[in-house]
Amino acid sequence: MKMKLTLRALPVVLTTLTAAAAICHTTLAHADEVPSNTVRVGMYVIFYHVKASDISGPYTPAGVNVDLKNTQTAYFGYIRRLNSYLDLELAFGVPPNTKTIGKGPATLGSVPYNGQTIATAKWLAPSALIEYKFFSESAALRPYIGVGVNYTSFYDRQVTGAGAAGTGGPTRLSLTSSVGPVGTVGLKYQFGTRWSVNASYNISQVDTNLKTDTAGVIRTSRVHFGPQALVIAAGYSF
Amino acid sequence: MKRFRSALGAMAAAMLVAACGGSNTESAMENPSTSHGTLVENPPLRIASLDATTFGTQLASTGPSGQQLLQLTGAPTCGVDFYYIKFYTLGGAGEVTMSSGALMVPTGAAPACSGPRPIVLYAHGTQTNKALNLADITNTSNTEGALIAAMFAAQGYIVVAPNYAGYDISTLGYHPFLNAVQQSGEMIDALSAARTALPKTFAASTTDSGKLFLTGYSEGGHVAMATQRALQAAGATVTAAAPMSGPYALEALVDAVFYGQVNVGSTVFSPLLTTSYQKAYGNIYTATTDIYTTTYATGIDTLLPSVTPIDSIIASGKLPQLALFDNVTPVVTIPGDPTTSAVLTAALAVPSDPNNPNTPLFAAGFGEPSLITNNYRVSYALDAAANPDGALPTPKAGVPLAAVAPTQTFRKAAYVNDMRNGNWAPTEPTLLCGGDQDPTVFFSVNTQVMQAFWSALPAGLVTVLDVGGTPAGPFAAIQTGFQTSEAQLFAFYQTAAGGGLSPAAAEQQIIAGYHTNVAPFCSLAARSFFSQF
Repeated sequence: MKMKLTLRALPVVLTTLTAAAAICHTTLAHADEVPSNTVRVGMYVIFYHVKASDISGPYTPAGVNVDLKNTQTAYFGYIRRLNSYLDLELAFGVPPNTKTIGKGPATLGSVPYNGQTIATAKWLAPSALIEYKFFSESAALRPYIGVGVNYTSFYDRQVTGAGAAGTGGPTRLSLTSSVGPVGTVGLKYQFGTRWSVNASYNISQVDTNLKTDTAGVIRTSRVHFGPQALVIAAGYSF
Repeated sequence: MKRFRSALGAMAAAMLVAACGGSNTESAMENPSTSHGTLVENPPLRIASLDATTFGTQLASTGPSGQQLLQLTGAPTCGVDFYYIKFYTLGGAGEVTMSSGALMVPTGAAPACSGPRPIVLYAHGTQTNKALNLADITNTSNTEGALIAAMFAAQGYIVVAPNYAGYDISTLGYHPFLNAVQQSGEMIDALSAARTALPKTFAASTTDSGKLFLTGYSEGGHVAMATQRALQAAGATVTAAAPMSGPYALEALVDAVFYGQVNVGSTVFSPLLTTSYQKAYGNIYTATTDIYTTTYATGIDTLLPSVTPIDSIIASGKLPQLALFDNVTPVVTIPGDPTTSAVLTAALAVPSDPNNPNTPLFAAGFGEPSLITNNYRVSYALDAAANPDGALPTPKAGVPLAAVAPTQTFRKAAYVNDMRNGNWAPTEPTLLCGGDQDPTVFFSVNTQVMQAFWSALPAGLVTVLDVGGTPAGPFAAIQTGFQTSEAQLFAFYQTAAGGGLSPAAAEQQIIAGYHTNVAPFCSLAARSFFSQF
């Protein structure tokens, strides 16, 4: 099931998290003892909300489009405490091998298309975010919100056998890199001074110009991936 | 802060390592060579892959024409993969140019659809559409591509068919129309490129059996015959050939037209032909006004082929629909020879013989403003009179040889590309198919002239089939089928759905469509002929 969380839903989520945090509010160590650096390890569960223009180019039927399979990957984060309320997070994941799925006609001629895995690519998608934490430093449970920037580049781009059958032969796939905003809402629970767990939900804007080259025939599409990611992580501060 | 910098550095390093870690799939290998016969991309693009059922369904869905075609060809036995090949060839003056074409590969489980399969090398008919691409089966206007796919590829033949230089991606800027050396060379280049591509296709289990069949329609009939001549000269294997409705005896055909037997489509053929020969030989004219009236001369050398529909070109006044010649008869004056002058003047008059059923057709080619000037017509006719073709206006005794030494440059070019030239004759079984009432490429002036020209060859080497003739022999069913189809069409034109035409008007429609209507029946005859080998 795909999660239908959008940027417009952020205030609602935030209010909910804040209320939950207030209930769980407990006292922690003094601010002077708070370490400045935290590393986190966890899991990204990524949901794509793809909106793409139909692929256009020579010998391309109308309505040929693409989708992406949701995926998950390991999450790594480095958090620099700027002050009692602000953190800088640098987040990245082990680049997931995403699968592009054919969307549109059931077949192109007699070649199966809709639902076929037509291409794969690895995403290198680090983000940098400034996060505002609610409540005082001493609170164990602190909701936070953040905004930042995401950079995504694609590598190991492979057109599968099914994809090549659809495009008409061995195909070179290029995807332009993307720089776009990212927003997050999260909740951190601190165990003592060093250890913490957190959960967050991120929404990024990742757009690319897709171009395929099959024996010199160029086809293009503008793809908005709309990735949303649930992050569950454990942190260690030092 | 130092630790922060270190962490950033580690992350950046990780990103770089990750970014360097992958390779991407590549497209087809591009061959940098521009020598003729080189396949540009290998494997080539497969534009479409249709299994037998899907292809049959798609043809049937195109309406009555597709359904009739299926009736004629039979339901597809094989699926067809349509590849778009690009290759290098040479233009009419030896210019290096890229050209393109179709490679159609049969697919499927039936025994006739894979393994070693024969190749049909096909030459298409005259097209005014510069964007022509026989490989693009997704384009519903590509009727000739659909015809050869259904007739040959879907029945287990590998089909190779160039689009010709001057069309599609070719940057040649003109089409070497009826240039026997160029067009046969391009056919052989397309064949070479297709044979290079074949092992790299998706259907690599379909291989070249080594059998090679040559065929083509109209212009392509001439090209197929020229290719047969060229391959024979090169010592290459040709299993059998079936040129169809082609202007083989080109000098005789052009003579007939200049003598007033104006064929349907002549205003399109003329600029294609004069431009082709001007580019190849450089001596057809010094200015287009040497041939064409001032109404049409400007830009006529770059007019065709064009991406603008021919009807729009005619409607815009750049080309007349019918008026090839002036309806004011030129007066021929040969100094010191008033008799010949009078005979020639009479020969150039607008046809009016009430006993000739073709008189209305021929006369329709006269009007004002005409395409070709009277002066040019006279210069051609003077050469035709001085150096007559063996076939016309008065057939000479014996085989109908081409003129020995024409001097008028355009007539000389027609002579050079006349298939009676080249000191050759088919050494492989050859079928010449056409229709005796063809108003575009006259059967008598071309097919029957070649039949007479080769009359001394061993019996059975050259077979002539007139689909309009009395049904007899191995192709009787095809003759009957064609004649029945024409009769049904004649009746249809007189129904409300067919336009409610009078019998005379319906007959005009039949004449107008005759050359095109012969094509699928002769193609079926060609397939039947090839199946013997």
